[in-house]
Amino acid sequence: MKKLLFYTLLLAIVVVSTMATIAYLTPPKKVPNYSDTELRELAIQKGHKAMPSSLDELIFLVDETSNPMTRDKIALGEELFFDTNLSKNGKTSCATCHSFDRDLKNSGAMLQMLTQKEPKTNDCAACHLRDQSGVDRFTFSQGDKDTVHPNLLNTQTILNTAFAKHFTWSGEIKSIREQSANSLLAHHKLNMTKEDINSTLAKNQRYQKLFAEAFEDGITFDNTTKALEVYVKTLVTRGAYDRFLDGDDTAMSQSAKRGLANFINHGCKGCHAGRAFGGESIQRFPLREFAQLYDIKPNFEFFPELKRLDDEFPFKNSGGYLGKGDAHLFRVPILRNVTKTSPYFHNGAVPKIREAVDIMGRHQLGRHLTLEQIDEIVAFLRTLEGEIVDYRGAK
Amino acid sequence: MRRFLVKFFILLMFVSGVVQLKLFDISWEIFRVVQPLHIALSLLVILFFMNSFIYKHIRRYYFVRKTNSVNGWMFLVSFALVTLSGLYLFFIGNRGGDILGIVSFNIHLFGSFALILFFLWHITAPMKQNREPLALLAALFLLYPSISQSKITELSNLEITKNGAKSYHSEDWTNSAKCKSCHSEIFEQWSNSNHKHIAGSNPYYMVMETLAGEVEGEEFRKWCMGCHNPSALSVGIGKSTHAMDGNFVSNEHFEKGAKTLLKNFKEHGNFRLEEGASCITCHQISDATSKGNASFSLSLDRQKHAFEESKSALGHWFSERLINSNPTTHKESYSKEFYKESRYCASCHDESHPQNGIKIVSTFEEWKKSPFNNPNDKTKHKSCIDCHMTNLKDDKFTPLKGTSTDGGVVKGDVKVHYFAGSNHFLAGLRDKAQEEQTLQLLRTSAKLDVALKDGVLEVGIKNIGAGHHLPTGVADFRELWLEIEVKDREGKLIFSSGKLKSDGNIEDGSRLFQKVFGDENSKPVGLLFWKYKTLLSDTRIPAGERRVERFTLNKEAKYPIQVSAKLNFRIYPQWVTDAVRKVFPVLSNPNAVELIRVEKELK
Repeated sequence: MKKLLFYTLLLAIVVVSTMATIAYLTPPKKVPNYSDTELRELAIQKGHKAMPSSLDELIFLVDETSNPMTRDKIALGEELFFDTNLSKNGKTSCATCHSFDRDLKNSGAMLQMLTQKEPKTNDCAACHLRDQSGVDRFTFSQGDKDTVHPNLLNTQTILNTAFAKHFTWSGEIKSIREQSANSLLAHHKLNMTKEDINSTLAKNQRYQKLFAEAFEDGITFDNTTKALEVYVKTLVTRGAYDRFLDGDDTAMSQSAKRGLANFINHGCKGCHAGRAFGGESIQRFPLREFAQLYDIKPNFEFFPELKRLDDEFPFKNSGGYLGKGDAHLFRVPILRNVTKTSPYFHNGAVPKIREAVDIMGRHQLGRHLTLEQIDEIVAFLRTLEGEIVDYRGAK
Repeated sequence: MRRFLVKFFILLMFVSGVVQLKLFDISWEIFRVVQPLHIALSLLVILFFMNSFIYKHIRRYYFVRKTNSVNGWMFLVSFALVTLSGLYLFFIGNRGGDILGIVSFNIHLFGSFALILFFLWHITAPMKQNREPLALLAALFLLYPSISQSKITELSNLEITKNGAKSYHSEDWTNSAKCKSCHSEIFEQWSNSNHKHIAGSNPYYMVMETLAGEVEGEEFRKWCMGCHNPSALSVGIGKSTHAMDGNFVSNEHFEKGAKTLLKNFKEHGNFRLEEGASCITCHQISDATSKGNASFSLSLDRQKHAFEESKSALGHWFSERLINSNPTTHKESYSKEFYKESRYCASCHDESHPQNGIKIVSTFEEWKKSPFNNPNDKTKHKSCIDCHMTNLKDDKFTPLKGTSTDGGVVKGDVKVHYFAGSNHFLAGLRDKAQEEQTLQLLRTSAKLDVALKDGVLEVGIKNIGAGHHLPTGVADFRELWLEIEVKDREGKLIFSSGKLKSDGNIEDGSRLFQKVFGDENSKPVGLLFWKYKTLLSDTRIPAGERRVERFTLNKEAKYPIQVSAKLNFRIYPQWVTDAVRKVFPVLSNPNAVELIRVEKELK
């Protein structure tokens, strides 16, 4: 009996000291408490600057000599962006999938769509058009004649892509111009040919005029994509976060501010970098191999929670897409407006933002974020929601 | 040592059991730890220690030394009884429905006192002092996870005080899926009811909430969400969302038995918030007034048994055993006496504009003035649940005899959680039995009579069954109308009214019982019912009142005439459904139902 007691106590001491040692060696990540000014400076220093509020400022930041931004080109690009004639079935435009209301201030679109006799848009648009999310809110994209994306890829937002360096899920595309050409021609998007587009545009007197104003060499396929690129670059959103950076301390709630501090300190900012919080690099996801792994969660109960992760991803990979070179390499998505663009990940497998944050913490940062940290980060992400800045009126 | 341990354990089991008695009134935090410890330790001790000790003890004294002890045998019998009753309480529980449960509870309670008496009687030898076992026990206590981690439930109790309003966390919102294992029948009723599908999965609601957000600003959605989606509102979510199934809006609304909810709970636990009117939305209301617009207080800090929030299956199973063995606290923390009163329902079933205060729905106010509100005469007093949560059979209120907990007490009137009102259509998409309940309730509401006076057909409609106006609720979205057909002697149709047109709308000039809202310019508000400023017309029938509709017939009609009068009901006008179908095309048109029909020959 005494022996039993001795060994029990010994075992208890060993267990407790091992746990204490591990706890001592791996202290929880301490996120400092910043003052509003400190937090603002830190965010700016890390590159998360505010979005420009004037067109001149925007042009200064994102203009390229190969395709200078002019007002004529922007006006032409807008016309092209919303033109359904640039698709084979005559019903799809860029704005079908990258959806927002052309009239940025329109506040009665839903009521109008609900009560009109013949609906002109798809069902989702009626409610979601005014979200100004730049996505179709579908799980996977659907283009001309409802053709689905061959890899069942989710539409990414077009907003704030002016600040991105890589495009599409693989990130292999280097410019908006390149991607607009792809989208115009892809069979599962607008499904056109260069000749189709040129002849459609040439038949339209308005386009003849607009092209002549914007370009020296008039209507060409290249000019079409150039005009689209310039217009898309003006689709920039500003939200509470930008107001906070501009000096309004009340624009963000306390938990959103802590969320921003978490975001920076836990390392999210490493990949979701820059003004747009992403789009600047290609990274591996998930960072660790998943097949045959067991995810053990200690829960202070009789048995730990045990989950076998057999998928390539921490969710079902419908569509079978594996990223650039099938190597799990993805363009880091832009987090501006992320709370408006559910579902998440390349195949839209995760419907809720909190679950997405949880997955990112676990598989990219390698840590179980606490419920509080997840909520704070989500509160911060909500401040990245914004409305498209209307540069048209402003000089 | 063994002799000391056996005595110590018996005393420990006794004390840890007795302190759970109501008499001692120990704090809940201690109770919820003591209860599982009492069970788990007793089981371990009996299995691994007591049994072998008893066997050896009897062998040594009775068989080897040939001594007999009567009190010893009695001690053994009481020990066996208390153990068996304890096992029954743990594995099956004292749910109230089976006599064995009640017997076990009493045996376990009183038997333990008998046991301790026999025990004291049996031991005559003085107890040896030995401190070692105490140290071992203390070490065990320290190592026990649920004590060292006593913050299992507090972990998520994120309380933010904003303008005096508390905010909760999704982890605080115990999912309705959890209630299913013991309240399977009630869960089944609720899962197909309109209360379950009151938020994200309801296409009509989603359209209206989104529209309100567009017209009045996103903040305005909170007005809707107070009653439709209190869980989301309480955790700081500003809008209701619907699930997606691929590229389509999920068909959750048509789904029986809350399948999606059960699946989500299995995969995500409380991490994914349950939206809508869940079990604990109503069953954790701590106070309510009849003001309306969600005039209730929610308090989710209830007394939880150990492991109740456990994510593991074993923990969950264990917590249910703990509840069943002594269900009083569980029962009390989910139901309050005022849940039977009408003001409880009124907190949501009365509705006014949040800014200008204009009453939009006044079902409670109508009831208050009706003969159904009769607090002086209990036999005539009927509150909301007397009609809307009482089972119907053959068009009559037939209280359901049965249990609300699996294996629980058989009650004479189980309050059914169909919440039958008038929306037969949406409930019927999931469950025909529920649709039938609603239709039966609707049929009890009115009576029709037909008479002829000087060539004028008089149709009387009396509100005999509803303790409020007929119809009530969002009464501009409800259609109750008369469909009349008059044929002359030769069978030729000489008059008709209230037919449906080919586009689904009721023909003009029909007699509808409804109120029509107008805005400040006296124009009908259409879908934007909250814009109501002026009442354009109100033809609803108050409780107990009779309305007469007169139809002038052609003077040259050949008598006798054959009159067919029908009282029809449709839950949503065609123009409302048309709007909703724009965004949810799979929705079918609600059918017009005939509530009452009178056929009469008149001279």
